[in-house]
Amino acid sequence: MSLLPPASAAWLLAHEMRLTWRGYRAGRVGKGPGAMIGLIILFAFACVGGVTVALATHGHQVPIQPLAVAIADLACAVVLTLMLSQTLGASAEALYERGDLDLLFSSPIAPAKVLLVRALGVATGVSTIFMVFIAPLLLPSVIYGHPGWLGVFGVLIALALTATALGLSLAMALFALIGPRRTRTVAQVLAALVGAAFFLASQYRVLIGEGTSRDLYANLAQAAQTGRLAPPPFADLPLRAMVGEPLPLIGMLAVGGGLFWLAAMALGRRFSDAAAAAQGASSTRARGPVKPASPFAAGAFRATIRKELRLIGRDATLLSQVLLRVLYLLPLALMLARSAKGVDAAALAGGAGFVAFMAGQVAGSLAWITLSAEDTPDLLAVSPTPVSTLRRAKLTAAMIPVALLLAVPIAALTWFQPLTGLITAVGAGLTAWCCGLINLWHQKPGKRADFRRRRGASWFATLAEIFVGGLIAGGTTLMVMGLVAWAALPLIVAGALMMVLRRTDEQIARTLRTAG
Amino acid sequence: MTEALIVKGLSKTFAKPAVVDLDLTVHAGELYALLGPNGAGKTTTLRMVAGLTKPDGGEISIYGVDARAEPAAAKALVAWAPDEAMIYDRLTPLEYLEFVAGLWTVDPKLAKTRAEQLLAQLGLADEARRRCEGFSRGMKQKVALAGALIHDPKLLILDEPLTGLDAAAARLVKDMLQARVDAGGTVILTTHILEVAERMADRIGIIAGGKLLAEGRMDELRAQTGGASGDSTLEDLFLQLTAESQPA
Repeated sequence: MSLLPPASAAWLLAHEMRLTWRGYRAGRVGKGPGAMIGLIILFAFACVGGVTVALATHGHQVPIQPLAVAIADLACAVVLTLMLSQTLGASAEALYERGDLDLLFSSPIAPAKVLLVRALGVATGVSTIFMVFIAPLLLPSVIYGHPGWLGVFGVLIALALTATALGLSLAMALFALIGPRRTRTVAQVLAALVGAAFFLASQYRVLIGEGTSRDLYANLAQAAQTGRLAPPPFADLPLRAMVGEPLPLIGMLAVGGGLFWLAAMALGRRFSDAAAAAQGASSTRARGPVKPASPFAAGAFRATIRKELRLIGRDATLLSQVLLRVLYLLPLALMLARSAKGVDAAALAGGAGFVAFMAGQVAGSLAWITLSAEDTPDLLAVSPTPVSTLRRAKLTAAMIPVALLLAVPIAALTWFQPLTGLITAVGAGLTAWCCGLINLWHQKPGKRADFRRRRGASWFATLAEIFVGGLIAGGTTLMVMGLVAWAALPLIVAGALMMVLRRTDEQIARTLRTAG
Repeated sequence: MTEALIVKGLSKTFAKPAVVDLDLTVHAGELYALLGPNGAGKTTTLRMVAGLTKPDGGEISIYGVDARAEPAAAKALVAWAPDEAMIYDRLTPLEYLEFVAGLWTVDPKLAKTRAEQLLAQLGLADEARRRCEGFSRGMKQKVALAGALIHDPKLLILDEPLTGLDAAAARLVKDMLQARVDAGGTVILTTHILEVAERMADRIGIIAGGKLLAEGRMDELRAQTGGASGDSTLEDLFLQLTAESQPA
């Protein structure tokens, strides 16, 4: 970094990258070798896949024909959408991370340069994630006969630059339209929804039905063969760029880079004003009609439940993440509804088990938030309320949203299949409670901000949740299938696991003291 | 005289000794200022009294309740307000006070009345139903102070209560603390603003290296400080005592 001219864009970018790297390393502290081993195994699997693709495609060229063009364009659209979901959130964050910005804006460096570097940091981060995932799949083919496919990396860079330009513009537009305070919230929810939309699109077979999707694909293939599927001009550019044709690749990079440059330059002047406005955003909130205060809750248990539910309800990031998981349940709910009507026993049983499993996952996340991500642990520690009361209240608060979320689908299921509905409700309740208890016994204090991708949660607790949730979900599935005796087996194993995982109050306190 | 707090032989060691065999007595109905340079052990001492840090040894008695044997009974009598306000950004001051009152099982109707009175006293009535996330540091400190007072504690412990407050707010808080003491409450505070301690405190304790160097009223402190003249200020005494305690 010392080789770069001070206050230059490259110098600032090196500073950003250093902070990002240190943030990543700090995030890894305490995660142990387990995560790294997991990554290596994943990487090895991807390499095997990459070698298989390389062997299969050796000596074959990708045909520039309508169906291939459509698939390449669709892939680009999907990647761009996923990138946009990340850059939108990151752009909103760039406006709110005040400590660093105060220092930068108080220096003689132009705000436009600060924005340019921030945006470059966002684009670099996003493109790196995709490249790391694609590299083991693609590089064997690049080495073994398709050097031109390196163009895929160029396309990813172009898409990352475009997504950053769009994310930044959208964040600033939201800023102007709805004000600084709501921009971050809306950006976070939008980012989550974009991710969910991608998932739902990937589940189109379930959503529109197997038969309809088969017909749709057959029609498309026929249209491509008969020449009816005629891509518009320049639609083949992404595919040509991916296979390494220089001009299309340069064209895509130029478009991406141009959009990025335009956004950074056009928005740079407004950036410092927007960031400054964001700082005072909350205190300048418009004053609406003041609601009369409701009566105070009686006792620590009720007051704690009320406080936790308020905090959950006002956490946009948390809500968007929970919403995502609910959206993930949507295809399943549709499948369940179809199966329940037509009594497709296997699908119905599998669906019931999956509902139970997801209930545990959502409950586990919320329990981690209420139990471990306490903003003011000292306040609770100095109060005379017994810890057991507080924990019970927090666990209950985590269960309430799960119950509300599952009430409608389970009620609908019960309408068509009463016994199945009852078993699903019991399975979901049991999984949710067990996952909550695991988070209670294996707390890992963290910050609410760490909720995204549950970075702050204990790996052990997360794994335990998956195992116990999976076993109870399996039991629920077998029960719905009528195999009651077989269902007892996973449930007994889950019970035994819970006994092993159980921690006394003293053990929990000792662990928390060590962590602190 | 009733003793609000009796500390005997209190010790705590982290990487190095933070509090060493500390004896301290605070009378009921007095404002006691615990002073010391950074790292002297003030906050550790107060955290042990509040039940936040487990002592390695020693005794803590709060209004006759053994805080180590009966922590819940002792905590019911105490409020702790550190320099970093213990509040939730996404709750309004009223919601925060509802929660704190719940923790101390204050009757809901009484708690609501007290909450509204406290917020009015602290100049936060207009902000009572707005989330704390946009509040200044001083406003957050005031909300935390209201939280500390909502259950009418017999012993109020404040760590740097004037940090982040503007002159008017600081005066308001000082007046509230004085009124509380006048009404028979007990207040222990730490502060780096020695003039405040000199003007407000009934008695002052000066701590360094985890040990109590001197304790008493101003005249008693002067007497305990060798070579101090009759018009020595607290700052003079403080600097002399803490300099003497430094290893040569």
